[in-house]
Amino acid sequence: MDQLIEQARTIYEGEIDFAGQRLSEFLTHALLTISGVIAFLAGFATQDIYQTLYIGLGGTALTFLVVVPPWPFYNQHPQPWLPVRTGRSALDGVSIEVDGKKLS
Amino acid sequence: MHNTLTRVQNVFGFFTSVAFAVAAAIAMSVLLSPQTPSASLELRNVQVVKGRPHYYSTKREEYAHVKFDLDADLTSLFSWNTKQLFLYITASYPSSDPTIIPPSEAVIWDAIIPSDYAPLHPNTYIHPTSKTAPKPKKSAKGKGKKEVGKPYPAGASPGIVRLDNQKPKYQITDVSGKIAERENATLTLHWNVQPWVGALVWTNTKTVGRWQGLQGGEAKFAFPPLKGTEVKKDDLKTETGGERNRGSPA
Repeated sequence: MDQLIEQARTIYEGEIDFAGQRLSEFLTHALLTISGVIAFLAGFATQDIYQTLYIGLGGTALTFLVVVPPWPFYNQHPQPWLPVRTGRSALDGVSIEVDGKKLS
Repeated sequence: MHNTLTRVQNVFGFFTSVAFAVAAAIAMSVLLSPQTPSASLELRNVQVVKGRPHYYSTKREEYAHVKFDLDADLTSLFSWNTKQLFLYITASYPSSDPTIIPPSEAVIWDAIIPSDYAPLHPNTYIHPTSKTAPKPKKSAKGKGKKEVGKPYPAGASPGIVRLDNQKPKYQITDVSGKIAERENATLTLHWNVQPWVGALVWTNTKTVGRWQGLQGGEAKFAFPPLKGTEVKKDDLKTETGGERNRGSPA
């Protein structure tokens, strides 16, 4: 059961690293703007408004496919977190004081 | 953008902004295409008879039945952004006191003319074909595609209207119930361009940039005195619009 929930969480989170987030934001703006411009120009040239509609919607569908799923190229620069420390060694060299009394 | 959900939200949000900008550009691009509308509208016949608003009413009012000829070339009004054109003809006449009471205006005929790209809908105008054209043979079973009339004469394009001795769709009356012997009446052609995206545009009589004003489309007349029983009932039949083409029950 926990495995299932963990898989669902991974799909819902779709984690990507920070460089990937910057790239995905740039890609949404670029792809949607370009598809809008091409849609308008194609429709104006052919004097057919359905061309604008189809190209615009197609470009938007493409953008959804490129940006939304957590593709591998969004995870090229994972954040280097410090290693996990457990057990007594976790508190070595760390002093914690509460209300003037030292904790061991 | 750290989440699948936020990525979906951001992409969709920017998509709506882009769609709005493209729609605004389409609406503005219509100003670039030149318009040269022209029409010649003439009064054919007008009769004023006594009638009732509906079958059970006790009020008796005078109704005017105005027949007209129309020859219009409005093809330049159809651009890539035009969904349909709504044409209507009004009869307007001044009131008894023009300084404080505005003139009266009543619609006698209207038509919805869709562009060729617009999807079919049952209220569109069907242009009357000439009487000498051969009638299509009725299929024996009555099945198969119905012969749908076009909103323009054969061989023309949307915007061409050629009507001869056209019956009105509506018989008009005055608020007071008396419309006989009124002077200085004018028949005017108006239109309303209904776009796919953008603002509605009504008749323009003045030239704006590449859009010329309507040439013609007016006719002056006077309402005649009340006719008695010598008017034939056939003469007073009105035209029915697309709302009658749906069969029974509608």
